[in-house]
Amino acid sequence: MSPTLRYVGSRLVTTVLVLVCATVLLFSLTLFIPGNPAEVLLGPRATPEAVAAYSHIMGLDRPLLERLAIFLGNVLKGDLGRDVISGRPVLDLVLEVFPYTLTLTLSAIGLAVLLGVPLGCYAATHPGSVLDQVGAVTSVAFIALPNFVVAVFLVLIFSVWLHWLPVLGVGRDGGWGDAVLRLILPALSLALSWIGYIARLLRASLLEVLGEAHIRTARAYGVPERRIVYRNALKLAAIPTVAILGLGVGRLLGGAIFAEIIFARPGLGTLVYDAIAVRNYPVVQAAVLVVVGVFTLTNLLTDLSYLWLDPRLGRRLGEGR
Amino acid sequence: MTDFSRRQVLGAAATTAILAAAGLPFPVLAQQGRSSVTLAIGRDIQGLLTPADRTGPIEGNIMRTVCQGLIRFKPGSFDWELSAAKSLTQVNDTTIEFELNPGLMFHGGFGEMTADDVKFSFEQFGKIGADGKPAGYAKDWAALDHVEVTGKYTGKILLKSAAPQLWLVVLPDNSGLIISKKAFEGGAYRSDAQPIKLIGTGAYILAEWVPNQRVVLKANPDWKGTKPTFPEVVLQPVRDPKTAELALRANELQFTPVEPADAGEIEKEKDTKLLKQDSINYVWIGLNVEKPPFDNAKVRQALRLAIDVDQVLAGAYNGTVKPAYALMAPGLLGYWADAPKPKPDPAAAKKLLAEAGHPNGFKCTLTLMNKPTFQAIGQIVQALWAEIGVQVDLQVLDAGAYYAVGKGDSGKNLDMALQRFGGKADPAFQTQWFVASQIGTWNWQRWNDPAFDEASAKAASTNDKAERNRLYIEAQKRMEASGAFIWLTHEANIFAFRPWLKPAVLPNGDDMLYDRFTTA
Repeated sequence: MSPTLRYVGSRLVTTVLVLVCATVLLFSLTLFIPGNPAEVLLGPRATPEAVAAYSHIMGLDRPLLERLAIFLGNVLKGDLGRDVISGRPVLDLVLEVFPYTLTLTLSAIGLAVLLGVPLGCYAATHPGSVLDQVGAVTSVAFIALPNFVVAVFLVLIFSVWLHWLPVLGVGRDGGWGDAVLRLILPALSLALSWIGYIARLLRASLLEVLGEAHIRTARAYGVPERRIVYRNALKLAAIPTVAILGLGVGRLLGGAIFAEIIFARPGLGTLVYDAIAVRNYPVVQAAVLVVVGVFTLTNLLTDLSYLWLDPRLGRRLGEGR
Repeated sequence: MTDFSRRQVLGAAATTAILAAAGLPFPVLAQQGRSSVTLAIGRDIQGLLTPADRTGPIEGNIMRTVCQGLIRFKPGSFDWELSAAKSLTQVNDTTIEFELNPGLMFHGGFGEMTADDVKFSFEQFGKIGADGKPAGYAKDWAALDHVEVTGKYTGKILLKSAAPQLWLVVLPDNSGLIISKKAFEGGAYRSDAQPIKLIGTGAYILAEWVPNQRVVLKANPDWKGTKPTFPEVVLQPVRDPKTAELALRANELQFTPVEPADAGEIEKEKDTKLLKQDSINYVWIGLNVEKPPFDNAKVRQALRLAIDVDQVLAGAYNGTVKPAYALMAPGLLGYWADAPKPKPDPAAAKKLLAEAGHPNGFKCTLTLMNKPTFQAIGQIVQALWAEIGVQVDLQVLDAGAYYAVGKGDSGKNLDMALQRFGGKADPAFQTQWFVASQIGTWNWQRWNDPAFDEASAKAASTNDKAERNRLYIEAQKRMEASGAFIWLTHEANIFAFRPWLKPAVLPNGDDMLYDRFTTA
């Protein structure tokens, strides 16, 4: 088996293990909560008979291992249970809102890459310049400012004072224009700190790569500087940035909640927030499971992308070095 | 890579800036017409849209707009007027006769409203669901024996005993709404069937519900009453009150409830009006009388004397609310005008603590919900009690954990809780939570007073208004004597809206009449 295939195989096994562990942990969620979940769900008006009936429906009257086996079996079949409030399949609820969270996350990361990469490149190729120093200060400021503060300021400036951009929701008419306008502020509020991260990280790694021997050789051969930076150095310097972006997508999928609340957007964050408030555990479990799944998958793809960025890594990792 | 020249980038940026300044691509700039009004709601629809099993006021307000009851509230008051009924008469203590207006058509092709629908709707409250669960609002119709249909449009509501509260908290409210038997049996009103069908005869139709995004109500073309001002009402779920305030200022919302502490700031905004009305809700600190040291009446009295309610309200509500001195708010039947108004007296409080065997105070926990106003109350109370040596830890919980904390046996471990209950127009609604049978449910004080229970029960089963008034005052005197309740406020309802809008809100602040929203 080639080293690359061995590496891909080992990463796939790790991914499956992480998913199984996360599923078991999520299952144990209901065990750590004080009281009977059926009682919490049904509320104070419920009769003991109703609590017993609901406990049976939820399978709470079965042995622990049997419940775990049923839960895992159902997850494998794609059955994540039913929303205890509306009675709808939880998977439907999650799939309804997931595209909104994914769009927001990808827009934020895309925006961060679009602005962060040029900033990082410029700072690395013009170290010590005025723009590099200004970039350093603003990057740190973006990283340090909490996203929700940025969000409120953005709303105040662009919606309340200038009346340029809308605040609430994802748009009503299904028109792309309106949907994009409503995406700008939440995506920007999430992206700003990532712009800072990417710019600083890329600057540091690019400076390191630009000092390597093969770059000096290329310069000695008279290869244009622009070609050296963007064709040769950037690809190698991008590896740490891609690693951070992989984590970023995962974090934003679960952590876009503040943006979803402040901008009243539907999404996984608000779904989990509402579900926790009413102890709707099937919804919490399903939404978190989807986030964990996407997070793990993103990390897998990130790891695999290293092979494309630097094929030497595949050989080294496959050999266990 | 980098195929753009610097000139191209600068050109694109300049074009965007010019377009932005002109506002051309931004539809939000366009002045919204008055054909639609967008109102904030604190959360999305949750659960069923049936009168017997509704989740709360959000669903209730939507149902009230789409369905009709025999009678309905007038805007801004708890007075009622006829709605679906042509007449509604209390014949004797246990019989109410009704006659429906003919020609009230359920939308969606479910036919005309008849007395059978009235019977079905009201008797629904007494049925046990397929999951073994009683209807959530079963208590509202607990006095109902059955509804006798005497004609296509006529019938009798037959009660087991006199139930005066029916006229204020049931018939004109959500529990008095009439749904279509045929539609219900066909699967309407269920939230597990998408799109959800809410079938009624009211001024609006539930035209669209996009979960977590919006609820759209459109004027019912078959409605024969006064035509609503707005052809469309959009309800926008906004969880964060600050976001709602910002959205109002950005003109994306035309109406939103606001936090009392923010009212002053919003009032300064031009193009924004505030509606402030004293509420009938009640906020108090309840002491667990079963748990030491709160089982000692002198300790309870000391804690009360140490609290300066005015100071608490000034800090937590920015002075926008009035203090409460008893359970019933002014204006309600049973309002106790002569209730004691204790002045804060830390010295006397310390003396009482010493007499109770706690000269150096003690440590305890105050449980409260994670709302900014309640946290502010908790912190002020913490400081005031520290002056008499009582060290209070604040246990701040989210709604789910908070509402479970006083329940069952876990309620025995509760020291005290900052509580807030919504009020209704009839005092029977307010007193029902403090009877002995509610210990472990909503009576978190675990206070058991047979005299209170008896007075409440008598008052709820007589139609003699004067006698009811006397009995409810008597009941509140028992509460006062217990020292288990430190009343803080009946709250105020504050709403911000565009100056051209005239909202229609009931005095409790939670209930809205969306079909009566009009232009100023």
